[in-house]
Amino acid sequence: MDFFDRFSIPPHDDPMLYASIVAIAIVSIAIVVGLTYFKKWGYLWNEWLTTVDHKRIGIMYIISALLMLFRGGADAVMMRLQTAVPDNTFLDAQHYNEVFTTHGVVMIIFMAMAFIIGMMNFVVPLQIGARDVAFPRLNALSFWLYFAGAMLFNLSFVVGGSPDAGWTNYYPLAGTDFSEHVGVNYYNWALQISGIGTLMTGINFIATIMKMRAPGMKLMKMPMFTWSALITNLIIVFAFPVLTIALLMGTFDRQFFTNFFTTSDGGMDMMWANLFWIWGHPEVYILILPAFGIYSQIISTFSQRNLYGYKSMVASMVVISLLSFLVWVHHFFTMGQGAVANSIFSITTMAIAVPTGIKIFNWLLTMWKGKIRFTTPMMYSVAFIPLFTIGGVTGVMLAMASADYQYHNTMFLVAHFHNVIIPGVVFAMIAGLIYYWPKMFGFMLNERIGKWAFWNIVIGFCLAFFPMYITGLNGQARRMYTYSESTGFGPLSMVSFIGALLLAVGFVLIVYNVYYSFRHAPRNVGDDPWNARSLEWATHNPVPEYNFAITPNVNSEEAFWDYKKNGHDLFKGKIEDIHMPNNSGWSIIFAGIFFVFGFCFVFHVWAGVIIAFLGIIGCMIYRSFEKDDGHHIHKEEIEETEKKFGGAK
Amino acid sequence: MRELFPMKQVNGFIFSLLLTVIALSVYFFDMSFAMGLTILIVTAFIQAAVQLVVFMHAGESKDKHAIYANTIYGVVIAVLTILGSLLAMVWGYN
Amino acid sequence: MKHDSNLPLEYSTETNEMNILGFWIFLGAEIMLFATLFTTYFVYVDRGVGNGPAGSEIFELTPVMIETILLLTSSFTIGLAVHAMRINRVKAMIGFMIVTLLLGAGFISLEVYEFIHYYHEGATLQTSGFTAILLTTLGTHGAHVTLGLFWGIMIIIQTLRNGLNARTANKSFIFSLYWHFLDVMWIFIFSFIYLKGMM
Repeated sequence: MDFFDRFSIPPHDDPMLYASIVAIAIVSIAIVVGLTYFKKWGYLWNEWLTTVDHKRIGIMYIISALLMLFRGGADAVMMRLQTAVPDNTFLDAQHYNEVFTTHGVVMIIFMAMAFIIGMMNFVVPLQIGARDVAFPRLNALSFWLYFAGAMLFNLSFVVGGSPDAGWTNYYPLAGTDFSEHVGVNYYNWALQISGIGTLMTGINFIATIMKMRAPGMKLMKMPMFTWSALITNLIIVFAFPVLTIALLMGTFDRQFFTNFFTTSDGGMDMMWANLFWIWGHPEVYILILPAFGIYSQIISTFSQRNLYGYKSMVASMVVISLLSFLVWVHHFFTMGQGAVANSIFSITTMAIAVPTGIKIFNWLLTMWKGKIRFTTPMMYSVAFIPLFTIGGVTGVMLAMASADYQYHNTMFLVAHFHNVIIPGVVFAMIAGLIYYWPKMFGFMLNERIGKWAFWNIVIGFCLAFFPMYITGLNGQARRMYTYSESTGFGPLSMVSFIGALLLAVGFVLIVYNVYYSFRHAPRNVGDDPWNARSLEWATHNPVPEYNFAITPNVNSEEAFWDYKKNGHDLFKGKIEDIHMPNNSGWSIIFAGIFFVFGFCFVFHVWAGVIIAFLGIIGCMIYRSFEKDDGHHIHKEEIEETEKKFGGAK
Repeated sequence: MRELFPMKQVNGFIFSLLLTVIALSVYFFDMSFAMGLTILIVTAFIQAAVQLVVFMHAGESKDKHAIYANTIYGVVIAVLTILGSLLAMVWGYN
Repeated sequence: MKHDSNLPLEYSTETNEMNILGFWIFLGAEIMLFATLFTTYFVYVDRGVGNGPAGSEIFELTPVMIETILLLTSSFTIGLAVHAMRINRVKAMIGFMIVTLLLGAGFISLEVYEFIHYYHEGATLQTSGFTAILLTTLGTHGAHVTLGLFWGIMIIIQTLRNGLNARTANKSFIFSLYWHFLDVMWIFIFSFIYLKGMM
């Protein structure tokens, strides 16, 4: 029985935990039974699990991201509930550690990353007039590796115990001395596997954007979201290998007793912090740049004007991409590296505010004299500007090294980064989802419910995080599971909890909106429901498999607007056979083997590790010898589809 | 047989052996640390450039701008990462 | 897939061009991967030695020198293989590739010898922060070369079976990029780990 002991649940006993295990089991069984009953297994396998279509992969990313949003959101509400009143006993210290760790990892790696990659998958090929990404099969593999990583991480909750050293996973806390159970092993392998997937996405999208743009679309004529995707993927390619190596060293430390991050035999615990943030700071910009891209599209569409300062937008993103690699030490100003090092990184950090500020002014000037329509996506964008500016300004406060000694590891910091991530990334993704919803599914989401959700989320956000600035300045440390009444943090923490509840209501309303609109929304929204400007709106809603029946011919970043208003001839050619890649189950099987590999490694099941490793090699050899030339969609078929949509474009 | 050994590649190979020999001088001769490190940095980066241009044909396709930009960006970020880490983890304490 | 007869075979289709560009971008990521290892090495060579041996106590010039010459030569021969491929001399191309892989195998055997030597000197993965990053850096490079050996064998088999076509030419060219890149990384390891350590 010794063998099975290692899988036993966590280092603490809690009825809630067993309740969740039962709930997970019931939901899993319900899904299997449901699929079998409605005979949907074939549909699921053929149309989704084996797909290489960038649009479907994008949608799968977004569905996974939403699931993870609710998982991480549940963690968040639990944390706020625990700290709502002084000396609360809802969670114990160990459980609280696990909850804030999984909240951070799930939200950053498995929610935000998946959301932005999902958006890029869906939008970028359409915006550049391509039929798919450069390497469709690799794209499917990216998704499934991400999914395998996400599932592995979530499995830690019920098998073996969750990681408990924070999402930053600092050593020596994350070492075996202080975190004995397998939680941090899960952290290492889940991030490793999904990180490999992300790196592949980065390579894939750079190649796609560099090589597959429609004729006439020069680099400086790309829509802004595509620019942001290009820069983001550049950062991904150069940042993620650092994480790969850091995680490998962490794995060696925990599982092979090396001394990378220990405090003896020449190990340096702060080297982990150094490497983590060399990846971690660019990661912040990986998240925010696509959000900037989405806001640029939305603000220009609903101000009914072209984007102000296109070139300065591009230039500022290029500058941000370089600077993002030069600021990482500001995450540990208090380490003791001396005034010179701190000053240098303080200055580079403040310098990033300049290109970001330029972008803010560009959005404001786009709205200036524009005819603004306050649709839900636009409301999120308008709310983003002041809220994000507050987050940016508190960021500059934190960037001052000497002052940072006061803020370091307080709730002030927590308030700051939620203040940039939620209005920055989360608002952008919700806005983008609503904006592109008709493109994905062919109907609109209800605006009235959408606005209710918006107000809940914005007010909830302000209530939840602004009090933390105050308690942080008053000295409340982050990651503390409770506090005494005499600290006086009680009332503001209660306000924060109420804010968290409002946020939760807002997100539930978004899901309800999907259900409501699916049932009641009209299906005849046409191809251009928002009076949009860029190329992705020049095809049908929902988008046919081949994207564009005729390859478009582009002459500006607002090709569709030119087509509508200035008589630009967008589709010059005639319909021809279209070459498309074949579906394949290879990706999901490969990623499944990776999952087994990671799981066995977490628990030191070496036989399983070796078998899975051989499986991985086998999959690569199979792929090397495989001959797959794709297939053609015939002209007649395309003409028929186009007729159904009401005439070829 | 001759056409299998183009001059460009043979010269590149001889040149890279030569660079290796120059680098070896830091082992056999007594010199200051700064001098030795300078020799190593210069020979290593020239060696890398030779491989890149002569053997890897980095500049032959129409994507050469993307390829060079990508590689130079990577090298710049890599050097800055190394120097910044040394600053934070070693030099900052002296 | 359109075909442009002015270009070498490995660039001849759009997919091929994309594969080559994609692989270059991957090599950019590899630069950062090795840069991370070097970053850690440079910090630990200074502060991470602990009670274990320093580099100058365990490095031996002779095996390292032989390894360097083997890898430099293999980089030359894979370059010749690509040249032979371009003038359509398939047999010569395969021959050069086999020489390359043999040289690579020689390199790996010497590296194994080197690791055993370190083990006897008391420099194992667990000894200190310095030995851990030394062996991890060398090991990462060695693992890349080992993977390259198997990859090269796959490509030789495919070229023998299917002859030289757009697909196999493309694969061979990309393999040559990978192999040259490993040589470049070795030059940096040779210069900044071994020579700097023995200086």
